Amino acid sequence: MRKINFISIVDDDPIMVFGIKKMLHTTVECEIVESYKNGKLAIENIKTSIKEQRTLPEIIFLDINMPIMDGWQFLEEFITLPIPQKVKINIVTSSIDPYDLKQWESYSKKTHHVITFNNKPIKRHEIEEITKVA
Amino acid sequence: MLKDNKTIPTSFLIKQLPIATLFVDKKFKVVYASDKLLSLFCDDRINMVGESLFTIFPELDLKWKEVLKECLNGKASPMGVQGFLDTSGREKFYEWFNASWYDSDENIIGAIIQINDISSAIESDAALDKANILLKQQSELSKIGIWEYDIQRNTVDWCPMTKNIHEVPLDYKPNIETTIEYYKEGHCRNAISMAVFEATDKGIPWSLKLQIVTAKGNEKWILAAGKPIFEKGKIVRIMGTFQDVTNQVVSEIKTKENEKLLKTLVDHLPLNVFIKDRDSRKILVNKSECDYLGVTDANELLGKTDFDIYPFETAKISRDEDLRVMDSLKPILSQESISIKHDGTETAFLSSKIPLLDENGMASGLVGISLDITNIKQKERELRNLINVTSLQNKKLINFAHIVSHNLRSHSANFSMLLDFLGNEKDEQEKEKIVGMLTEASDNLLETLENLNEVVTLSTNTESEKEKLNLHKKITTIQQSLTGLIESNKLKIVNNVEKEVNINIVPAYLDSILMNFITNGVKYQHPDREPVLNFNTYKQGDYTVLNIEDNGLGIDLKKYGSKLFGMYKTFHTNKDSRGIGLYITKNQVESMHGKIEVESKVGEGTKFKIFFK
Repeated sequence: MRKINFISIVDDDPIMVFGIKKMLHTTVECEIVESYKNGKLAIENIKTSIKEQRTLPEIIFLDINMPIMDGWQFLEEFITLPIPQKVKINIVTSSIDPYDLKQWESYSKKTHHVITFNNKPIKRHEIEEITKVA
Repeated sequence: MLKDNKTIPTSFLIKQLPIATLFVDKKFKVVYASDKLLSLFCDDRINMVGESLFTIFPELDLKWKEVLKECLNGKASPMGVQGFLDTSGREKFYEWFNASWYDSDENIIGAIIQINDISSAIESDAALDKANILLKQQSELSKIGIWEYDIQRNTVDWCPMTKNIHEVPLDYKPNIETTIEYYKEGHCRNAISMAVFEATDKGIPWSLKLQIVTAKGNEKWILAAGKPIFEKGKIVRIMGTFQDVTNQVVSEIKTKENEKLLKTLVDHLPLNVFIKDRDSRKILVNKSECDYLGVTDANELLGKTDFDIYPFETAKISRDEDLRVMDSLKPILSQESISIKHDGTETAFLSSKIPLLDENGMASGLVGISLDITNIKQKERELRNLINVTSLQNKKLINFAHIVSHNLRSHSANFSMLLDFLGNEKDEQEKEKIVGMLTEASDNLLETLENLNEVVTLSTNTESEKEKLNLHKKITTIQQSLTGLIESNKLKIVNNVEKEVNINIVPAYLDSILMNFITNGVKYQHPDREPVLNFNTYKQGDYTVLNIEDNGLGIDLKKYGSKLFGMYKTFHTNKDSRGIGLYITKNQVESMHGKIEVESKVGEGTKFKIFFK
């Protein structure tokens, strides 16, 4: 089983968080899996980690539709943060709005981080794929 | 004396003849010439005796030689008139006569020629001819005939033109009765009879425009004038003129008809038409313009400028346009403008101003044509509103479709994921947990469907019955029904709505709107202070505005403004946030043709303005 240090899940839906965690449990060995109910909590945590030079997540599962700060607003801030290593960001959304696909394309071009786009429900093999490279 | 006669030589007798006379022999050589003849012509012709006639007078037409030859045969005939230039260069005309010259034995030995100076006669003839021709031409051109009525002899004379106008032959002999009978029966005949009577009886001249019926049955307009002629204080004759003015009268009538037609047309055009002079004074206004300016008689407007009619601002704009059109000679065409009258009435016009040019090509004024497009503009506004509403509805519909799809998809995704887990799960405890989650997901789905149903009902039920409700009372009622919530949160509600304010509203919507704002006031209260919710109203145009102000958390409108009223958008980490309250409120308000505005400062509070129609 692959070993990953730190995975973040940003989603306001507890069922989804449960599901991703459950699937991760059977595909990778991960020391830390943290979840945040919206983009704001997640980005603040990452900012604090950078300041305190703590470990940053290697993989982020990111929902789009969330209260307070949605997935796109999170990305907007995230790509400006001084993070030299490539972080794998997996957008996991139930949205099939073409606008969201365009947003994904535009953010992919703007950053050195790897951004993928998956529709809910996310499948076990997709989780495997996501965690493979890292 | 008789004896003496014989002693006087013939040549001497001839010499003394008082008429210019020549005697020529058979070869046309001059034998004798009278002194008179010699005096008429130049001196160099003195020694003409013995010379040929045609050598002395080279001007003579050679055909006259033939005439003279006949004369020598005893058949004398006049030679005719011959012109000569005299010593001063003036053309003189002479009439030549000739007779055969017999000797005592009755033998023709030559011809006797007499020459008469007829220059003056010829000149006066020419002058008379000229005068006659002129008179005739004048008469023909002006179609003015002359007539005369000799009262004493009771005769009437018509000149050829007068006859021509009556269409009678030139040998027609009129009398006073027939003259009058040519006038059209009725007014015309009566008028001329009276005029002739007045003239013969009282010496009053006349000049009348009347109709005649000619001999050929044609109706003509004529100008008949008559003037009595007095002799020793007595009226003896009436002389007058007779002029065919049919063309003038017909064209006058035609012009009047055209004018009338044009006036009728201009008056009944559904356009305001006016003509202004150089100083922008109205010199013509049509009925529409009169109606628009509230006058019954066009004379009330004629001579007035816009400054006399409109408020200064409107008049100034109009005068500036007038000057621009008249100075540049470029018309203003179909320009939209708003005209404001003294009573404040605004009318939208589509107006054109076209310069009127004088013979020098300068503007002497202008023609104005305005179409009242107030109604069209109103319709246009309504249409635009309708389009706005429709496109808004359309946007809402798309938004709604996304919401539905997104929400249902997220639930179904959860179901399929959880069911997948359940199928593969061995651990009973874990299975139980998954089933619990499935129940939760199912509840969530139900709630979502309920929310969506609420929205659909709202969107399809825009025609719900409105009622006049007292706002102050209504707030109090809702406040009472939420007593528990309000008291436990120490929410202070300040109802500053004036007691007499009533609004037209769907009752259920008002309940929902007020409840939503009160619960929001509780939900989003600031942790450091007790919540206060202030209600008051004011009028703004057609709207009654309900102002709801809280001292809660506030919201960053720059970040969230566009999403504030969106469905399932929440901006606070609050467990009660459903993200549906404001979405529904906004839809309810809009379905009643109202609107919502918001002002907010993070940490200070939020102010919602709800506009009710």
